[in-house]
Amino acid sequence: MEHPILFISIILEKLGLPVPHGFVGHTFLEQICAPYMTYTWLVMAFLFIVSKLTLGNLEMIPGGGQNFWEIVIGGMDDFFADNMGREMTDKLFPMIATFALYIAVANLIGLIPGFMSPTSSINTTLALTIIVWITHHVIGFRAHGLNYYKHFIGPMWWLIPLMLPIELISNFARLLSLSIRLFGNIMAKETLLGILFMLAGAFFAPLPIMVLGVLVSLVQAMVFVLLTVVYIAQAQEHAH
Amino acid sequence: MSSFKKEMIHLLANYGHVGFTFVACIFIGLGGGIILDQKVFDGSTAPWFTFIGLAFGIAAGFKSLFDILWRVKKNDGKNDGKDDGRG
Repeated sequence: MEHPILFISIILEKLGLPVPHGFVGHTFLEQICAPYMTYTWLVMAFLFIVSKLTLGNLEMIPGGGQNFWEIVIGGMDDFFADNMGREMTDKLFPMIATFALYIAVANLIGLIPGFMSPTSSINTTLALTIIVWITHHVIGFRAHGLNYYKHFIGPMWWLIPLMLPIELISNFARLLSLSIRLFGNIMAKETLLGILFMLAGAFFAPLPIMVLGVLVSLVQAMVFVLLTVVYIAQAQEHAH
Repeated sequence: MSSFKKEMIHLLANYGHVGFTFVACIFIGLGGGIILDQKVFDGSTAPWFTFIGLAFGIAAGFKSLFDILWRVKKNDGKNDGKDDGRG
């Protein structure tokens, strides 16, 4: 397969910085210049600059930019409050909303030629997932103290030998399924688009996949956030 | 966004990860069993912990499947009640 053309990597190579040819580099500088890292920074800069431009001066009568953000943030706030309660939402809204915006933008940016989705690398998604996984356990411990272990022993004491491994396995499976689902969907989209561009780019063959890609990007961002909210809500509520 | 699209994205978000969670549970169980057999007990207990881990993994897969189904059912009931209350 041909190498995809990534304009940040080209610029960095022109500047004389080492851009790794594999997925990750060997030296520290190569690892920093890997495409998924540079595009992560691009997404972060995009979110910073766009929100600064549209929300720099808040007005009583919102204009177009402020209206958009009010709908997005208000919708997410309602959705979180429905699922995990007002108090938890106020505490964790910055983290989860940042994840939602970051994942949505990072997924969608890969549809533009010359860009790549940072989420099509397992490193990015695994990092996000580990943060979510540790957070939901910390919240469980803070809500229940040491009684948190009751979440893992099932409803009756004589079922403990059966339920403890099952609960532990299904808890660790969250780590795997949450990261690999996002990574797999986005990488499949990127690879498919790349192959179709190479085979029949002149006949607009990638166009239907791009339409599907928009749907997949939004749904995967939504799934990630929904599951984060559900895990936190479950860690917080009382054991059955 | 139209309400149909919103509904569809909600459904996809709720049910789209059923298969993946199931498979992840089985692989975690199987992997745990293989590690117990090969690394912890140095192959002296093979293949027993592998099979036990596989069985627990499959059980955990079904458990997480039922968790998803029950959670969606509960949420649907809650939302229906809210809609009725609104009028």
